[in-house]
Amino acid sequence: MTLPSISLITFLPLIGAILLIFIPGERKEIHRLVAFIVSLITFVFSILLFIHFDSNQVEPQFVENTPWLGYGINYHVGLDGLSLLLVMLTTFLFPIVILSGWRYIDHRVKEYHLFLLFLETGIIGVFVSLNLFLFYVFWEVMLIPMYFLIGLWGGPRRIYATIKFIIFTMAGSLLMLVAIFVLYNYYYQATGSYSFEIADLTKLILLPKVQTWLFLAFALAFAIKVPLFPFHTWLPDAHVEAPTAGSVILAAVLLKMGVYGFLRLAMPLFPQALIKFTPLLMILSVIGIIYGGCMALIQKDVKSLVAYSSVSHMGLIMLALFSLNQEGLQGSILQMINHGLSTGALFLIVGILYERAHTRLIKDFGGVSRQMPVLAAFFLIFLLSSAGLPGLNGFIGEILCLFGIFRVNKVMAYLAVTTVILAAAYLLWMYQRVMHGPIIHDHVRSFKDVNLREIVYLGPIVILMFWIGFYPNFFLKKMDSSVAFLLKKIEEKQKYFVFEGEPQKGFPLKLAIKEKSFSDSVQLDLKLAQESRLILSKEKKQP
Amino acid sequence: MNDFSSLSPLLILIGGALVILLLEAFGRWSSRLIHFILALGSLLSSLVMALTFWGKKVTYFSGAYILDDMAILMIVLFCLAGVLIIFISLTYMIEHGFNRGEYLALLLLATTGLIIMTSSVDLIVIFLGLETLSLASYVLAGLKKEDEKSSEAAIKYFLLGSLASAFLVLGLAFIFIQSQSFNLKEIISNISKGADNSIIFLIGLSLIIVGFGFKVALVPFHMWTPDVYQGAPTPITAFFSVAPKAAGFFVLFRLVSPFFEPIYLRQNLKIILFLLSSLTMIVANLVALRQRNVKRLLAYSSIAHAGYLSLALLSQDASGLIFYLIAYLFMNIGAFAILIALSPNGREFHDLDDFNGLASRAPWLAACMSVFLISLAGFPPTAGFLAKFYIFSNAIKQGYVVLVIIAVLTSLISVYYYLRVIVHMYMSKELPPQAIRINSDFLLLLIIFFCVYAVLQLGLFPGQVINFIQRASSSSPFL
Repeated sequence: MTLPSISLITFLPLIGAILLIFIPGERKEIHRLVAFIVSLITFVFSILLFIHFDSNQVEPQFVENTPWLGYGINYHVGLDGLSLLLVMLTTFLFPIVILSGWRYIDHRVKEYHLFLLFLETGIIGVFVSLNLFLFYVFWEVMLIPMYFLIGLWGGPRRIYATIKFIIFTMAGSLLMLVAIFVLYNYYYQATGSYSFEIADLTKLILLPKVQTWLFLAFALAFAIKVPLFPFHTWLPDAHVEAPTAGSVILAAVLLKMGVYGFLRLAMPLFPQALIKFTPLLMILSVIGIIYGGCMALIQKDVKSLVAYSSVSHMGLIMLALFSLNQEGLQGSILQMINHGLSTGALFLIVGILYERAHTRLIKDFGGVSRQMPVLAAFFLIFLLSSAGLPGLNGFIGEILCLFGIFRVNKVMAYLAVTTVILAAAYLLWMYQRVMHGPIIHDHVRSFKDVNLREIVYLGPIVILMFWIGFYPNFFLKKMDSSVAFLLKKIEEKQKYFVFEGEPQKGFPLKLAIKEKSFSDSVQLDLKLAQESRLILSKEKKQP
Repeated sequence: MNDFSSLSPLLILIGGALVILLLEAFGRWSSRLIHFILALGSLLSSLVMALTFWGKKVTYFSGAYILDDMAILMIVLFCLAGVLIIFISLTYMIEHGFNRGEYLALLLLATTGLIIMTSSVDLIVIFLGLETLSLASYVLAGLKKEDEKSSEAAIKYFLLGSLASAFLVLGLAFIFIQSQSFNLKEIISNISKGADNSIIFLIGLSLIIVGFGFKVALVPFHMWTPDVYQGAPTPITAFFSVAPKAAGFFVLFRLVSPFFEPIYLRQNLKIILFLLSSLTMIVANLVALRQRNVKRLLAYSSIAHAGYLSLALLSQDASGLIFYLIAYLFMNIGAFAILIALSPNGREFHDLDDFNGLASRAPWLAACMSVFLISLAGFPPTAGFLAKFYIFSNAIKQGYVVLVIIAVLTSLISVYYYLRVIVHMYMSKELPPQAIRINSDFLLLLIIFFCVYAVLQLGLFPGQVINFIQRASSSSPFL
């Protein structure tokens, strides 16, 4: 393919956003329509990419690489098995959220769609970047539209929520920036050339002490985003206050960026530190699973219930990620998609209910299913998908995750199973209180069932849920080889034992090679290691 | 190369200033537009004249005045700042009843001072330039004669500025004692010969840092900044926050960098600059959190940016410094231009509450202000991000990891107060549309849009500018 296909799907929404600037603000329908069509075209293009994606290839595909700012900063994008499905999820959800806000968003329609499209560019950019600088730029850029989306169209405590969201995320990512500089500098010391390419940086093997610090900085940024247990406090606030579209995107895609960061950067870059911190991270994930589930049980607000269920589910995804085997990793990636679909869909349902009732408190509902039978059916499907019912997508992901965890640590696996139990408990209990029982409140009688527009955007999600539930291989095989390659890379890097010579001032970089058989992919690392050793020995002689 | 014509950028500006003053005194012009045309013309022609010497490295006054590529780059920066300031002050001046001739002449003279400072390698001449700048600045700060705050600003600026100058002169004297010369080249050769008594150098250097620390507003020499910035007329504040700061850092860089050679001096200089830089970043950003007046907030933000800039000083990163100064020029003048739009009829509405609902009263202004604030806070894809990026990554290369961590954490704090302005513009209860007349003349909007363009251009495709800076810094290794 000669077309710059990835740039196309990345920047098409941005072009749409720029187009919206020039349409006068009163023409609300045109804004909605343009935004919808642009996001739909983006989705169609991404389907083309999906079809052309060669699942046997481990290297990134559709690569575009042009110099940008010099010093190793290139515009380098591409898709591999790790990012393909996440990009698909993003492009799939955007037309849906634009449809979901069609009637509800009625003031500042222009800005709303402008920020949504801008956000889409930022998110896709994060997933397709193969250059660390580019990754960071998109990672930060995407905060600005999210800040406005929560702050402008959110609930009563929106300003508090949006500032908290920004400050939390920035705190992590700025420390990550420092770590990126340090890493960049090591690469320069080791090779004498500048590079921000993730593929190049992965070849570095750093001292365990250094790895520890850098890993912590990266992990903090990603853990806040995921969010792992002690860093999750921004999430319920942001979710509850955000408008429906904001919540959907936040839950479905933004949280996945944290997991993706671990997959793409933290794990292959710092494998030794990963081993060291895996127990801690696993414990935090388990605490997240149980804590999130228990918090969800006692929520009075449907939206914050779904938000806490996110904390619990993301804990499972992280746990599977740290099990570091094929099942766990694949389960984790698939579960990201599933969680994106089911939680996103649940937020859409909450949005539909809120549009009718202007309340989200569970006690204000009851007997809704009599008024809205179609919605009740959708709701039940999404809820069972989230709780992991066989035949639906959630089951496949969870079972893969649990297999992966079980192979590493049985106790953790037992504890992780609680996520399924708890999910069934809080979701079904909530469903019962909201949808069933007698109609207590009069306003419920005035509810109209879902209209055509709502069916149009809920329908595709249901289809996808069954599709993944019955035939997951269609999606799994796209990432098989990439995941295997990643695992091999991490494993091979872990084999290097690190030679710790006499301590050096500043930031010592020492490398050593275990004289074992190396596969081709590691040959470069070997050469690099020797080179850097040379450089270091030269440095030593000088004083 | 010794060439009298190398003085032309200076002479044009001085000539322009004098002609404007004479016209003001004797001219019988019904339309005073001629002042503006003269001022703009002399700034632009000075800029063009300076550019004709690109790559030639001409000198005059037996080497005391030197027009190397770095100096030319700074002249371009100052003239550009001057042009932007003149454009944004058109209506402001009329509505606040300034004497136009006086205002423009002083602005030109201040620019002359800046150019003298940056294009000389003789300590006495540098001091001369600094005083030329300072005298013009003291008067400019007090131009709003009926306004108490403006007069207070002028007096404060004058008293504290004179004190700082005294420190500076004392520092120069110490350097002179040790090296028997005022010429930076000879001083350097003295250093390289091995100055064993370098404690004298250290004292002199510390005093110089105090003197310039005052000019560029490093904590703890920053006390004057908020009051002067708030009291001075807004376009002048914009000028103060950009041009003298740029000149101060540039000259400080010139003076300090040779002293990084001997180990004893380097170690002490590093400690001094480390403390100043970290203190500046922490104090300024924390105090800025409590400001309710946006003009004052920008004053503290300017102090905070001085902290980041001194990081470049510490890591001896000339091109990072210059790029930061250029980026800062556009984002800060842009932000102040918005403040000018909010100063109709000789009054200034700069409280945070005056910004409430600006997004619906003046959507374009609010959007542009957001771009400037986001850039000041250092978000990509704006110039502010790249500027910070270059400085931080070079500092890490020199091993100042702790300082960079302080820098990123303090810029996290800054995110809060910059975004608070956006909260007021977009997310607060709206004021009635007629509450504050928005001063939106064509030229002001033009400058604001130009600044937005520059901020984005420098943030996304700064290739050309960076090439220029690097050519300048490599062709003239600062001396």
